[in-house]
Amino acid sequence: MKKYLWVMALAGAAAVLSLTGCGKSAQSEGTVTSSAGSQSAQSEGDGQAKSGGEAIRIVNGKIEIDEPLKAFAKKYQEKTGQEVVIESLGGGVDINGTMKGYLAAGNMPDLFVFGGEGDYQTWKDYMTDLSGEEWASQTEFGFKSEDGKTVGFPYAVEGYGITYNKDVLKAAGIDPASLTSYDGYKKAFETIDQKKGELGLTAVCSVAAESGQMYWSTGNHLFGYYLSGGLKRGDTTYIDLLKSGKTDTERLGQFADFMKLLFDYSDKNTLISGTYDDQLALWAQGKTAFITQGNWIDPSLPDYNVKFECGIAPLAFTKEEMKGVLADCPSWWAVYNKGSNIDASKAFLKELALTEEGQECLVSDCGMISPYTTCKVSPKTPLALSLKTYVDAANTYSWEWTKMPEGISMNSTGAVFELYAKGEIDKDGFVNMMQTAIADYVKK
Amino acid sequence: MEGKAKKIMNVLPVLIGIGMVCCGLYFDFFNRNFRGRGPLLAGGLLLVIIGLYLFPGRKHREIVSGLFLLPLIGAFFITVLIPFLFGIFYSFTDWNGIKFTQFVGLKNYGQMFHAPDYLYSLLITFLFTVFNMVSVNFAAFFLALLCTSEVRGRNFYRASFFLPNLIGGIVLGYVWQFIFNKVFTSLIAGSVSMLTSPNLAFFAILIVSTWQYAGYIMMIYVTGLQGVPRDILEASAVDGAGVLKKLLHIKLPMIANTFTVCIFLTLVNSFKQFDLNYAITNGAPSRILGAKAVASTEFLALNIYNTAIARNRYAQGQTKAVVFFLILAAVSLTQVSISKKREVEL
Repeated sequence: MKKYLWVMALAGAAAVLSLTGCGKSAQSEGTVTSSAGSQSAQSEGDGQAKSGGEAIRIVNGKIEIDEPLKAFAKKYQEKTGQEVVIESLGGGVDINGTMKGYLAAGNMPDLFVFGGEGDYQTWKDYMTDLSGEEWASQTEFGFKSEDGKTVGFPYAVEGYGITYNKDVLKAAGIDPASLTSYDGYKKAFETIDQKKGELGLTAVCSVAAESGQMYWSTGNHLFGYYLSGGLKRGDTTYIDLLKSGKTDTERLGQFADFMKLLFDYSDKNTLISGTYDDQLALWAQGKTAFITQGNWIDPSLPDYNVKFECGIAPLAFTKEEMKGVLADCPSWWAVYNKGSNIDASKAFLKELALTEEGQECLVSDCGMISPYTTCKVSPKTPLALSLKTYVDAANTYSWEWTKMPEGISMNSTGAVFELYAKGEIDKDGFVNMMQTAIADYVKK
Repeated sequence: MEGKAKKIMNVLPVLIGIGMVCCGLYFDFFNRNFRGRGPLLAGGLLLVIIGLYLFPGRKHREIVSGLFLLPLIGAFFITVLIPFLFGIFYSFTDWNGIKFTQFVGLKNYGQMFHAPDYLYSLLITFLFTVFNMVSVNFAAFFLALLCTSEVRGRNFYRASFFLPNLIGGIVLGYVWQFIFNKVFTSLIAGSVSMLTSPNLAFFAILIVSTWQYAGYIMMIYVTGLQGVPRDILEASAVDGAGVLKKLLHIKLPMIANTFTVCIFLTLVNSFKQFDLNYAITNGAPSRILGAKAVASTEFLALNIYNTAIARNRYAQGQTKAVVFFLILAAVSLTQVSISKKREVEL
């Protein structure tokens, strides 16, 4: 009996120890949850801790920039003693779901990523007003709440349209500057199509419209041009219409014509069954002249050993000229308003936005375009450079599509694009079906 | 006198423990930053447990057995029962994953059955369940016959048929997607991928699902077949029964309960199919249904996932999940009871 008692007591002690372990890690988050950062922090941090206090934890939604951010965070810690822990989610992870889990578990990071209107509605009770920050006045890309307060920290500008292979266009005798209207594209597509053999192309365009995996490209990005292409920044005519379940038949018709043109000159297999990788590979290997993606493909280009020059042209579906591209922040960072490190987080954002090291990190290391007017570092990758000319000339349209009802492209409009790409519906079918799809989705 | 003191000594830990737990909870609710609240709570719980263990009296044995059940019951409550009850609760609210502002009653349930995409998902999930149940069980049973026959290298076959089941569904899904999109289209030059036609894509999922799951079910059939008594088989052989006769009149009746298990497993698993569905098609391709485009291969589980995650309508997704549970429970219970009856008859 006595023996059992001892075993019992030992097991109990073990249980208590493990439980207290849980209790502590919940209190001093960051230091325990972080991976590489915390070890160095424990070894060298003792002396510096007096200035830092607790570590700031950031949930970053772009897994591609994880490494440069971590490097910058390390430099920041050396400089100020403030530890910054970067936790990158992405690559198919449902960020909103993960964050909701964090919130429920009382494990919210100090800075968290959010992706526009829909996310803002979900998270607005947890955001800190950042209007008073120095950087807020130096960018037009900050995310503003309904009452005009800046709540989202912009860290990059992304843009897209129809990205072209400059070498192919040159060989075919086409000036990229002529790609500003439906007719311009039609002429270019026809010319290139005739010379396909000698240019070594299998098709003119690389487009993917399969609804299961490419809905974001068609239903969000391409459709985004219908919503704001050619409009002044902040013009919400068509997105407002969409939110009330309506569309502009005339404009949607023009858009449908252009989609038809695009689909007709696309590689058939990639169009109806290709994935993002297939689409990108086709273009990057020089087998097509155009691809409907934006500057985020820059980091992938070295993987395909891309040697040709390239640039971004507007997806100009209108008969009139459209000279700009859709460029905006893909996501913002918000400061968690119930966190204990609000001031430290603000200081970190300021450092990232306004100092040369911060700009160097965002622009050179992450390969992005800085949303700040005071940024002097210029990008080195080809598409970022091309996009920057549009941004500098203020020749951009906003991403109104981020304000569409959540999941509409995935659950509704993406399917219509696929049917159109497969030729199962014609132009009128596309317009009508799109209208019913949007009306139904908004109503639900 | 001494006995009384001993009794008090035994009750004391329980009382102190309860006090400590209360303190811990108090600090947890009102004074969040008190560091000792965790140890206080855990220590209190431990004292209560030790106290109960030492508690004298006639019920001592029952208390101890109860204590030994605690870890399991605790885990079951925390991971299954409480979330389940919460889920049912949330299905009556407008929960968005973070908080809810009002009760909406049965609105979520009503709305759901008016949504064509949900009804369509329901229909094809039923179809898929029926097809998949038949194909998996047929395939598995014939593989099992092969692996219990006198064929050479049957252990090798057994292992390799089982192997697909060890690969995760998502990985497998993407591999097969590649096969459907790239390999098959280049084998039959000029053909388009199976995954671009609504009907063929349905069968594509069926093929992969059978391929993945048959090996697992086969293992259960193999065990069943090996459990058929040799003496009966030998006796039947002496009486002149052929292979087919042995199969139909001896092996099949003898493993009737294996069939119950296998059919039950495949039924539930096909109904819950998610990972292959997600990785191979994710709902695509789209089908025209009354001038509307619907995702043709979006099974129920994926539909629930998309409702909650992609549309950010957690309450509605939760509602669908509750109905999903009810259907699943009803179907499997009926199935089990019918099979059980048959077993008795046999």
